[in-house]
Amino acid sequence: MTDRNIPAGPTRRAVVQAAIAAPAALASLAFPAIVRAQAAPVRVGYTMARTGPWTTGAQVSQEPNYLLWAEAQNAAGGLNVKGVKRPIELIGSDDRSDIETCVRTYEKLMGSDKVDLILPPWGSNANFAVAPLANRFGYPLLAPTALSRRLVEMKLPYFFLMLQQPKAMMEALVDMLKANGTKTMVVVYVDDLFGLENYAALKVAVQGSGISIVEDKSYPLGIKDLSPVLRSMKDKNPDAFVGLTYPPDTILASRQSKEIGFNPKFFYASVGTAFQLYRNVMGAGAEGVLGMGSWNAKTSPGAKAYFDAHVKKFGAQKEPDRWASGATWAALEILTNAVAKAGLDRKAIRDYVAGTEHGTLLGKVRFAGSENVGTPGTVGQWQKGEFEVVWPKANATAPLLPAKPAWV
Amino acid sequence: MKLHIKPALARDLLVLFALTGWALAIPYFGSEFMVSMALTCLMYAALASSWSLFCGTTRYLSLATAAFFGVGAYTGAILLEQIGWFGAITLGAAVAAAVAVVMGAAVLHLRGTYFAVLTFGMTELIRHAITWWEKQVTGTVGRVLAVVPERDTVYLTVLALAVAAIGVSIMVRRSRFGLAMAGIGADEQRAQTLGVNTRLVKIGGFALTAAFAGAVGAAMSARWTYIDPATVFNPFIGFQTVLIALIGGAATLWGPLIAAVVFSLLAETLRLQAPQVYMMSLGLLLILCVLYLPGGLASLRTATFGQWRDDTSQWWRERTRAGKKGAR
Amino acid sequence: MSFGSWLELIASGLITGGVYALVALGLNLQYGLMRVLNIAHGEFLMVGAFLTWWAHTQLGVSPLLMVPVSFVLLMALGMAIHRLTFRRLARTSPNLDVFEARGLMVSFGLMFVVQNFAQLLWGGDLRGYDFMADPVRIPGPGGGAQFAANKLLLLALALAFSTALIVVLRKTLYGKGVRALMQSPTGAQLVGIDTTRLHPLMFGIGLGLSGVAGCLLSMTYTISPSMGEPYTVTALIVITLGGFGSMAGALAAGLALGVIEAVGMHFTSPSLKSLLSYGIFIAVLLWRPNGLFARK
Repeated sequence: MTDRNIPAGPTRRAVVQAAIAAPAALASLAFPAIVRAQAAPVRVGYTMARTGPWTTGAQVSQEPNYLLWAEAQNAAGGLNVKGVKRPIELIGSDDRSDIETCVRTYEKLMGSDKVDLILPPWGSNANFAVAPLANRFGYPLLAPTALSRRLVEMKLPYFFLMLQQPKAMMEALVDMLKANGTKTMVVVYVDDLFGLENYAALKVAVQGSGISIVEDKSYPLGIKDLSPVLRSMKDKNPDAFVGLTYPPDTILASRQSKEIGFNPKFFYASVGTAFQLYRNVMGAGAEGVLGMGSWNAKTSPGAKAYFDAHVKKFGAQKEPDRWASGATWAALEILTNAVAKAGLDRKAIRDYVAGTEHGTLLGKVRFAGSENVGTPGTVGQWQKGEFEVVWPKANATAPLLPAKPAWV
Repeated sequence: MKLHIKPALARDLLVLFALTGWALAIPYFGSEFMVSMALTCLMYAALASSWSLFCGTTRYLSLATAAFFGVGAYTGAILLEQIGWFGAITLGAAVAAAVAVVMGAAVLHLRGTYFAVLTFGMTELIRHAITWWEKQVTGTVGRVLAVVPERDTVYLTVLALAVAAIGVSIMVRRSRFGLAMAGIGADEQRAQTLGVNTRLVKIGGFALTAAFAGAVGAAMSARWTYIDPATVFNPFIGFQTVLIALIGGAATLWGPLIAAVVFSLLAETLRLQAPQVYMMSLGLLLILCVLYLPGGLASLRTATFGQWRDDTSQWWRERTRAGKKGAR
Repeated sequence: MSFGSWLELIASGLITGGVYALVALGLNLQYGLMRVLNIAHGEFLMVGAFLTWWAHTQLGVSPLLMVPVSFVLLMALGMAIHRLTFRRLARTSPNLDVFEARGLMVSFGLMFVVQNFAQLLWGGDLRGYDFMADPVRIPGPGGGAQFAANKLLLLALALAFSTALIVVLRKTLYGKGVRALMQSPTGAQLVGIDTTRLHPLMFGIGLGLSGVAGCLLSMTYTISPSMGEPYTVTALIVITLGGFGSMAGALAAGLALGVIEAVGMHFTSPSLKSLLSYGIFIAVLLWRPNGLFARK
């Protein structure tokens, strides 16, 4: 049973909106004063990396979606708050990829400014810092760019992780590699929460799979030169290269692999490969490169509608990425539905999110505690200029290209 | 026995008492923003005063404040649940002091730039070591404080630490210990020949500075609720402390406090919005101070302005004279 | 690991080491001669890098042309800074210790000013451009090695500038004057060497070298306003290893450190690079404060 056949978010939202709009329209005719007085804005606060190492990820996967969402909602009259349409007021600021700034700003937003809703910052690290805070203040937080078993283990009732967690993603990767005859693997990982956890999950996943990790190295965020590491890995001649990397390092690893002539059969770099930027930088060399991706415009009609709207607002040079962007939009869809149902009662929103099965552009999303157990672990691959989902077969938008051609 | 207090001492204690009273009122009458600002003020007052206690008198420029702060913060964060608030603060101070003793024993025989550079190096070494340990052994990247004390508790603790730092400064200045440190600052070899055990005095002073920094670190970790090596071992904490103490006047009693107030005001208003402007002004002020006011703000007297005026007119005369002669 | 790969590893260590040496030489010149420990040195490297990037992306100027241009620009900047700050310090400080301490503080302030000014001007993001990035194959035992052309250029130019400086110091009259000043300030002045001219010039040359290093780095790596600090620290480590004031020592130590780091990263992980560097730094400072190569 494919998830793609379930009607996606926008359709349902459109229906809900229409159902509300009619009586509201009539009401506004009869009682204009009341309707106008109730149009106080819904204040939505967040910080986002606009400068610093997290910027690439944040400005591709997250902030544009926040802006698109607010604009789309306001264009339709405002966010539906239990029947009343209220305009969205976004209160966003630059956290400069600095955790301290993140924490202090969210404290201010929730503690002093007392905004109505908050949206999360980018990255596992920042969410790790902000999640307990949000939980303490009682603000539901749906995070589309956080990946961490630790975050799930913290069992924070107000925190929800949209992305597939390390175990799911790594198992999907290993299953795919195993099914295609991989015997040896090399791994580089960024030494922060994201890299550490995925690495740990990868090690667990390869046990008993017949794949052996012949070399693994960690590197600090912001590293400038990976070529010594890549050189010694090239020397081992592995079947697969797995990079648990962030966008700047993904690009660095790819370019430097090309520089030194490192051409394993499978080249996987986690975050950043799903970005249009990757195709722009690597050009034809992107063909065959694998990464974390879970959707593209072919996944569902809702996905296509979202893709088109995104490109319409931000231009053809700013496509949404094929992983986290989708998750961000799905989170916003869920939030929108929650507010429509429960208003701005944050506890009620939280209960709705936790207890319902949501239909989104990604398919079904369902939470067990903080974790989204509705979306399976997936692997994506660049094929002829599009990042296709190639694993698991049930979600695939194209078959796997079994060997990456040499870098060009 | 009659308690004999000299007028200068009385004056200092009175000022301290007055300031404390005023600071105590803030949480009850001030806004959220004011309290947050006052907290930063007090934090840097404590750090800068305790720094200048040792480094101002002995003229050993230590850049290790961030190391002690971070050590205190980690101790506090890890053990807060087990040993309670006061336990965490005390232990933070104790562990930081212990680190200082070890560092000091290894490093205090070097002077000047060597010492400064070494303390910086050691701070970074400790930071990287703890980062690595956390990642490899404990498997975390940062630590979240699950149990957080009230905002007022943190405020009062930091206030107490700031008062203690200044109070200890007042006392130490008048004690043999303080005189010994000043002697080391003036001429170390001579102090040694006069019978001062310079090694012990230096290690003691260093440990005292560290204890305060550690205690403040433990208190602030509760305020931040999330700590990781990059935030608590941020060398900027050390730099800012040194800058504040130097601009205020490292060898004076009230200088660091004055500067702490000025800079906290600047920091709270600018740091979230325009941090570059704030840091640039810090740097510029430091350069100007070192060049034209080496004693710091606290040494600013009416005579200083006269001195500047004389200097400028002399410089102008030299230039016009050189211009007339056509030579440089 | 095959022989060819070892060669590649050591060569890439030398490439990084070449840059370290270049930066350290500039710092050494300033400290050895004037006892000014310029901890803002790396910031000027960053300025050189950004100027090159800006000139290349906005004006289309070739980075190769920017090499001498950055040298000249930063030398001028260095001389100006010296005139505005350190000269006054030299006049007003009662003794050498105080001068050193004050010099350190001024350079501290400079570090804040320059780094944040750059951040204000250019933003905190990573920037970069492509220049001579195509791989070059060098034939040799074990299959040879493959490097990006710009990395080889980096090594060549870094070595060229370093040796040029050392030769100038050894052979020319100016250079001998500088070395005399380093050995004995009063003695040198007695034989008529003009400190007032040499100090700003040497300070400027020190910064100029830093700027050249930055220009070269911008060709191969991405740049950001905070890139300078690690290089300052590494330069400090290098001159500690090589001995304060020793030029040849700085060159040797720079190259050595690059190789040690590369080999160390191979056996452990890049994550441990900083730990390794600082560990070596502390160890040398404690055990041999005058440097590994110092002769008494």
